[in-house]
Amino acid sequence: MLIYTFRRLAEMILTLFIIATATFFLLAAVPGDPISDRVEKLPTQIRHNMYAKYGLNKPLLQRYVITMKGLAVGNFGESIIYPGQTVQSILHDKLPASARLGIQQMVLGITIGLGLGIIAAMKKNTWIDYSIITAAILLISIPHLIFGLLLQKMFAGNLGWFPVIGWPKGKDLWTGGWEYTILPTLTGCFAYIASYTRLLKTSMLDVVNQDYILTAESKGISKARVVLKHVLRNSMIPIITNLPMSIAMCITGSFFIERIFSIPGIGMYYVTSVNGRDLPLIMGQTVIISAIYVTVIFITDVLYTIVDPRIQIQGGRK
Amino acid sequence: MLWIQECANEGGITITQLLEVTNLSVSYHTYAGEVQSVRGISFDVKEGETLAIVGESGCGKSVTARSIMGLIKPPIGEIKLSSEIRYRGKNILTFTSKEWAYYRGGESSIIFQDALTALNPTMTIGDQITENIFAHEKISKKAAVERATGLLEQVGIPDASKKLKSYPHQLSGGMRQRVMIAIAFACNPKLLIADEPTTALDVTIQAQILDMIRSLQVKKNTSVMLITHDLGIVANIASRVIIMYSGRIVERGSSDDIFYHPKHPYTIALLRAIPKLTDKSKEKLYSIEGRPPDLLDPPKGCPFAARCPYCMNVCVEANPESFDFGLGHTASCWLHHSQAPKVEWSI
Repeated sequence: MLIYTFRRLAEMILTLFIIATATFFLLAAVPGDPISDRVEKLPTQIRHNMYAKYGLNKPLLQRYVITMKGLAVGNFGESIIYPGQTVQSILHDKLPASARLGIQQMVLGITIGLGLGIIAAMKKNTWIDYSIITAAILLISIPHLIFGLLLQKMFAGNLGWFPVIGWPKGKDLWTGGWEYTILPTLTGCFAYIASYTRLLKTSMLDVVNQDYILTAESKGISKARVVLKHVLRNSMIPIITNLPMSIAMCITGSFFIERIFSIPGIGMYYVTSVNGRDLPLIMGQTVIISAIYVTVIFITDVLYTIVDPRIQIQGGRK
Repeated sequence: MLWIQECANEGGITITQLLEVTNLSVSYHTYAGEVQSVRGISFDVKEGETLAIVGESGCGKSVTARSIMGLIKPPIGEIKLSSEIRYRGKNILTFTSKEWAYYRGGESSIIFQDALTALNPTMTIGDQITENIFAHEKISKKAAVERATGLLEQVGIPDASKKLKSYPHQLSGGMRQRVMIAIAFACNPKLLIADEPTTALDVTIQAQILDMIRSLQVKKNTSVMLITHDLGIVANIASRVIIMYSGRIVERGSSDDIFYHPKHPYTIALLRAIPKLTDKSKEKLYSIEGRPPDLLDPPKGCPFAARCPYCMNVCVEANPESFDFGLGHTASCWLHHSQAPKVEWSI
């Protein structure tokens, strides 16, 4: 297990290195440079100084080496469209809000989704099943932008239960200010509910038809035990496979929700950095998000071996 | 549940009929229509005996087994209302869920054909055995594990206490089937249904598995319903044999009756299909021409008529009644009618 972890760690670093390299050269391949439109009316000397400030006057390979060295020590450089702010300070300030929103959405959405999936599978071909699945398809079809506005109107505007916009700050960053987080979390969690309900139902119906479920039933154990002990665990593989995709979705997909509810998250920076060709910010975000992603994939690979003993870790001994 | 215990406690009277199946009809509803898998069969299983049900694929033998274990699931599967399956005198088709929980696994159990798919891949075999014990007895965890170890030793698995922690994929095919047997015998059932228990195994292991089922059966006085398509393995084991064809029983009798005095052309064809070592001729192995009838639309006459070398006009028109040859040997074939021509056959 230890050998495996180290091997995977090395692989993850290599992956990040390749991603960073690819991103760097792809951005460099785009014609023009990030600051030309901003500096073209300035005097020549100032323009030269600007280019020198961001290192854009240096040859490409030298810039690459400087960038990679910076990434290795966690120094992503200064943002171009937000002058005076380093990329790491932007990430440090903005990432927690997005992370909390994403985690809350996922935990709530996946929990409800799996619960409904079990009910739909158990009540297969009844009105309960049909209404759950119809609701799931409806929910997945409506953009969460519209959900957000409807929830704001209903619960914040008409009923006044929650604040319309805002987000917990300071010491409330992770554990307080729940009233602010409820509406955005609800808005985002519907997509998870819908996809996990359908995924688990399909997977469970497949498992229910396996012979070992007949064996379990022929032992005279209760229906609930058959579902919990035999059906559910064997239905988990597709769920785990889907998990990294959900996490990717929750990092990048909250842009609209963050805008609607004025949440100081990273979503907006992600979009503006690309529009403004803010090279350091794009690099920094890409590397951070990739790092989260490869870590999650590593965790899910370990989860596979826990859920299904037939899947074994290579290079490790039991 | 009381009724079962009462029956068991009636020491003075011996109850010989453990299971009585009367007019069992089972259909499956598919997109193509209603498949009449089992069409009105009746038989009984006596206490301690081995009854073999023999027939080719799709003849309804596994469906019969599943009906007895309550594994036919509506709305796709349907047991017709006229059917009765009496276990110790009580119709199991009217069981409450509590009675089912008592009956399944405790009073009766089943072994499936392929132990790889019949064992839960994500559960240790120890857990799968003790699960059956916990479902029927109030017993401490330690005692259950001890009993599971004992069961594994009885079915011939070496290093039993260690193997309890293995998963099914870590065992060989023969070992897996032994585990299935250990699960089936965990609560000393009165009735064991073995649904093609050796079909998926090597021939060398087949005999070991059958011997083991047999010795456990004698030790625990269990009735065994052996379901198979292989007449070859039946001869040494079963006291009585039922031959099924296309959802019906075509012949039944003692093992000797079936092997030495078969009365139905289908039984004779099955016996001929067993390859013989003494046969030195270079001819092809014997096979029965044609295919069994489509059970979506079963023929109104004898189901075997289309493949039968002795087929008469009446065979296509009407399903034959059952002719009795004494001592429980019956065959459903018009050839035994008083007006039918006499036919000579050899096996």
